[in-house]
Amino acid sequence: MSGRGVSISFGGMKAVDGVDFDLREGEILGLIGPNGAGKTTLFNIISGFLQASGGEIIFGGGKISGLKPDKICRAGIARTFQSARNFPGFTVRDNVLMGALFGKPGKTRAQAERTADSTLEFTGLDKYAGMYVSDIPLSAQKRLEVARALATEPRVLMLDEVMAGLNPAEVEDAMALVREIRGRGVSVIMIEHVMKAIMSICDRIIALHHGRLIADGAPSEITENKQVAEIYLGEA
Amino acid sequence: MTMVLTILINGLVFGSVYALLSMGLSTQYGVARILNIAHGEFIVLASFITWELVTDLGVHPLTAIAAAGAILFVIGFALHRTLFKRVRDISPNAAAFEGDAILVAFGVYFILQNLMRIKWGSQTTGYSFMAYPVSIGGAQFQARSLFVFAFAAVICVLYNLFLSHTRTGKSIRAAAQDPVAARMLGVKINRVMAICFGIGGFLAACAGVLISMNQTFSSVTGLNYTVIAVIVVVLGGLGSIRGSILSGFILGIVGTAVNSYDPSIMLVVFYLIILVLLIVRPKGLLGR
Repeated sequence: MSGRGVSISFGGMKAVDGVDFDLREGEILGLIGPNGAGKTTLFNIISGFLQASGGEIIFGGGKISGLKPDKICRAGIARTFQSARNFPGFTVRDNVLMGALFGKPGKTRAQAERTADSTLEFTGLDKYAGMYVSDIPLSAQKRLEVARALATEPRVLMLDEVMAGLNPAEVEDAMALVREIRGRGVSVIMIEHVMKAIMSICDRIIALHHGRLIADGAPSEITENKQVAEIYLGEA
Repeated sequence: MTMVLTILINGLVFGSVYALLSMGLSTQYGVARILNIAHGEFIVLASFITWELVTDLGVHPLTAIAAAGAILFVIGFALHRTLFKRVRDISPNAAAFEGDAILVAFGVYFILQNLMRIKWGSQTTGYSFMAYPVSIGGAQFQARSLFVFAFAAVICVLYNLFLSHTRTGKSIRAAAQDPVAARMLGVKINRVMAICFGIGGFLAACAGVLISMNQTFSSVTGLNYTVIAVIVVVLGGLGSIRGSILSGFILGIVGTAVNSYDPSIMLVVFYLIILVLLIVRPKGLLGR
């Protein structure tokens, strides 16, 4: 997947301004930047929730910018939300089943049920399968967001701060999960503020500031990048 | 004792019809966010279709569900695909759409009602169906009332099974809870909304068929049904199907009790219940 000159403005303010990015096959790409840098906005553009005012996004040989969110999901790009948006009236299993039923076209009901169960097992949520979202711990709710997106069997998974609010042990578990997801051949883009996590699991990191791309490189290069250190790490 | 039994059973009969009346409205509002003022006109249209089939062709009124149900599903689906979809696309935000949609639904209401008045006039219509009494525990009931209750209950149960077990049903429930999240998981949200509007039409048709068996109707009775359906839906909790069923039965039993005392104050009591409820529990009985 790659983006060229991706831009959007809200009332004259450029929230994302001519961003170029590439996500390589099987890569874990980190997306960092201070609050308001345009990270989630970029996610919203890629997932089709917002329409870019300029530039384009190419995925699997075709242009996906301009498509509706449900179509982008079925094309193989899944995402999570910063604040978990699980369905409160569904059990954990039904939440995951939704992704399996609708995320990938042409599945029978039985196939979708199998996908849901294997995804629950893979993410370690099988013990909560019959419970409602409000009855499971926060770390499990965050995992459920990931599981639901994963059940759509994406080629690209976009994670929006899935480690926020987790304790150090839970962050370790979440990092292991992201690595395992990549191990299944899924490319990952993740927005994260937990620097330790992002530095250790990402193959490459891009940094945004005021909607512009200010750095692109391996974690070691990013930590040495002066502009990033001033703007971002200096603030943290 | 006989009187209590009479009120209870008649209450269940009315309650089942109220539940059926409101399920369609609830489905349309819960997912598509359209308060369909024309819902009652859909119901009356189904009653007229049934009446034509029964009096002209002599078929059993229940078979009219197939015809009226199909016609009203298509009308509902098409209305959403053309009219409401367009209004949604040009509305600046969700709240503005809800307001605009009510106005558009009012337009549909006037057009449908007047088309029916041109076709069938404004006199009261009805036909005779299962017009013999049945005795339960010493109390007398019309056989047709019990038949209506049984079928309304069956449709409520089948619709709930549809919502909880089928793929389309799950997409409807997900879209009612969080349309954005549903869409991000690949649910074709525009199609689901149109289907919900069609289902609203289908359920209105079921209500119209059953109402025509049990009481008289005319081209101007539609708004009464809409008013009752809105009361039931608000009481049950906007968008909650189970809430609508529960409040339908509560209002059916309360309404029948009040009716046996003084028919003219029934709506007054309904509105009083709503007033108290909105103060005590603003989201309705089962609203989230």
